[in-house]
Amino acid sequence: MANQLEIRNLYASIEGGEQILKGVNLVVPRGQVHAIMGPNGAGKSTLGKIIAGDPSYTIEKGEILVDGENIMEMEPDERARKGLFLAFQYPVEVPGVTNANFLRLALQARKGEEVSVMEFYNKLQKALEVLEWDESILTRYLNDGFSGGEKKRNEILQLMVLEPTYAILDETDSGLDIDALKVVAKGVNAMRSPNFAALIITHYQRLLNYIIPDVVHVMVDGRIVTSGGPELALKLEAEGYEWVKELVVTGS
Amino acid sequence: MELTSTLSRDLVLEVSKKLNEPQWLLEQRLAAWETFAKLPYPTTRTEEWKYTDITEVPFEGLPLEEPTDVPLRTREELPEAVQARIAQADLAGFVVFVGPQLVYAELPEELTRQGVVLTSLHEALKSHPKQVQGALFKTVNASDLVGSQKNRPENSKIPALGSALFTHGVFLYVPQGVEFSKPLGVFKYLGGNALSVGRTLIVSEANSQAVYIEEYISPTKVPASVNLSATELVLGSGARVRHAHIQTLGEGFYHFHRQRAHLGRDATLNDLVVNMGATISRAEVQSQMLGAGSYSEMLGLYFTAGNQHVDHYTLQHHVADHAYSDVLYKGAAKDRSRTVYAGLIKLEPGAQKTDAYQTNRNLLLSPDARADSVPQLEIGANDVKCSHGSSTAPVDAMQLFYLMSRGLPRHVGQQILVKAHLADVLTRIPIEPLRQHIEGIIEEKVKL
Repeated sequence: MANQLEIRNLYASIEGGEQILKGVNLVVPRGQVHAIMGPNGAGKSTLGKIIAGDPSYTIEKGEILVDGENIMEMEPDERARKGLFLAFQYPVEVPGVTNANFLRLALQARKGEEVSVMEFYNKLQKALEVLEWDESILTRYLNDGFSGGEKKRNEILQLMVLEPTYAILDETDSGLDIDALKVVAKGVNAMRSPNFAALIITHYQRLLNYIIPDVVHVMVDGRIVTSGGPELALKLEAEGYEWVKELVVTGS
Repeated sequence: MELTSTLSRDLVLEVSKKLNEPQWLLEQRLAAWETFAKLPYPTTRTEEWKYTDITEVPFEGLPLEEPTDVPLRTREELPEAVQARIAQADLAGFVVFVGPQLVYAELPEELTRQGVVLTSLHEALKSHPKQVQGALFKTVNASDLVGSQKNRPENSKIPALGSALFTHGVFLYVPQGVEFSKPLGVFKYLGGNALSVGRTLIVSEANSQAVYIEEYISPTKVPASVNLSATELVLGSGARVRHAHIQTLGEGFYHFHRQRAHLGRDATLNDLVVNMGATISRAEVQSQMLGAGSYSEMLGLYFTAGNQHVDHYTLQHHVADHAYSDVLYKGAAKDRSRTVYAGLIKLEPGAQKTDAYQTNRNLLLSPDARADSVPQLEIGANDVKCSHGSSTAPVDAMQLFYLMSRGLPRHVGQQILVKAHLADVLTRIPIEPLRQHIEGIIEEKVKL
């Protein structure tokens, strides 16, 4: 069984609207961190949401394989149980359920079994420590009234408690100040292991100073146009996206 | 509506006689019977019943559930569903009715010593005749229609039947200055297959404080059955009453409830109506701010499934000045169920400096579910603050996707979103065990 997240020739459009992904190919093996960079509107976030099972997109062609298994027909919860996780660009507010209750429900759903209070709190404690957060966050309603930074940090808290195999971080860095950014990076780095892979979707190179990627992909107009090492991110930061757009035009 | 009716004037005479009632009460019953007999049933052509069709309701096709002399029961002999509620509810005291019969009562001596009464209405007719006669039919009666409802007298048809033929009731009396904050409860267990008619009278004298919960419980499924209830609340100056009407009747029940509170000067009512059960239920919940500075919070919760139909009408009738009222009714509907809400804020010319708010919000869990909402204002005063609003929306696909992307199955995600939708009402229920009970009902219902 292939221990990797694989996207094969993926074409997708917004439901009843324009085509956004135009033949994406991507392999993220366990043990690696990949970044996808690209200009606004390139389809980066769409790719993340489609992998997680966002129902507002229509898939026209292609496959998404988790450890060799096609997950295209699976509901989002089933995909989560297969080990996928999406840290949302805009986490949703859900009043009425506390952060702690939600996390415990999610952990039980992910594991498919009861999780003892002890085990749950041990995980939580460790995660809170890394994220330099205090317990008061647990009794607040899920993302309800959270600041932008708190919401992002809460995504990483969920990531750390749920321990997925493949995590997609959708612009988790946008809107974060440098201290918050470092905390988020610390959380992701704490997850790194031979059994964990991350796909970091970002517009800026900034986060990649703190989470060093193994591979950087550049996405333009619904396709990955070039890939390289961490130095590619630095080049994009220095030179902008104009030169990669030309790659699209020349078709290379 | 039926070729032969199970109801008649003779039945009114018989019930009153069986209950050894005083003459004044018999006369009230007979007057109500006259009203009932001359009025047609409301139909979907009646403005207030536009969305609720009651042609299938066998008002006159069922035997009236009449009281018999049964002995009191021990706590262990109470229906299991009631015992479970008692165990969870953490009440200061409670009374249990099985059908029309009071079968069990447990009241703290501390309250009875101070003159608090919680008993059957007919017991109270003997022990507290003056208090009962002074208040019974004062708020809910055949001529209680307000505003444009007066033009459609058939709105009194069902309450008139309730007044003419009630077979049992509850009387809660809180003397002047007596205060308690731990709830008293009444559990009404209905077996079904009958017409049940009950009445509750709550009199809270000046500067008293009371907390009262009334729950309707039955088997989960019964043959066609009708339950009529009326609740009258009379709050003296400065009285503070927290009142809850919790309906969890089984499938097969048709439940019709009318309640009205009269609020005296600076009186406060915190009202909660929860309609979760029955095939068709309609609750008319009304507060009349008769005293200056009175305050009425009116909360409503409902969640329908299958083919259920629930209909709420609220009235905030401001007669005096400087009063405040706030209606917040929230519900959810799944499957093919329907919910209806209509509300009226009516301000009389003397109701200056009124603050009145009315909000109704509905969440639809399926494309076949439907919610109708009709908020209304009738403002006769000019120096007031009033607002009303309503909304109906399907479950937010993004919220559901977020929850499911964390591994939660669809039904658990929906459960969380229903609770989230109802959260601002739930958090305004300070009685913790009651709130937990309601949350439990919601959780069960999402799973169905």
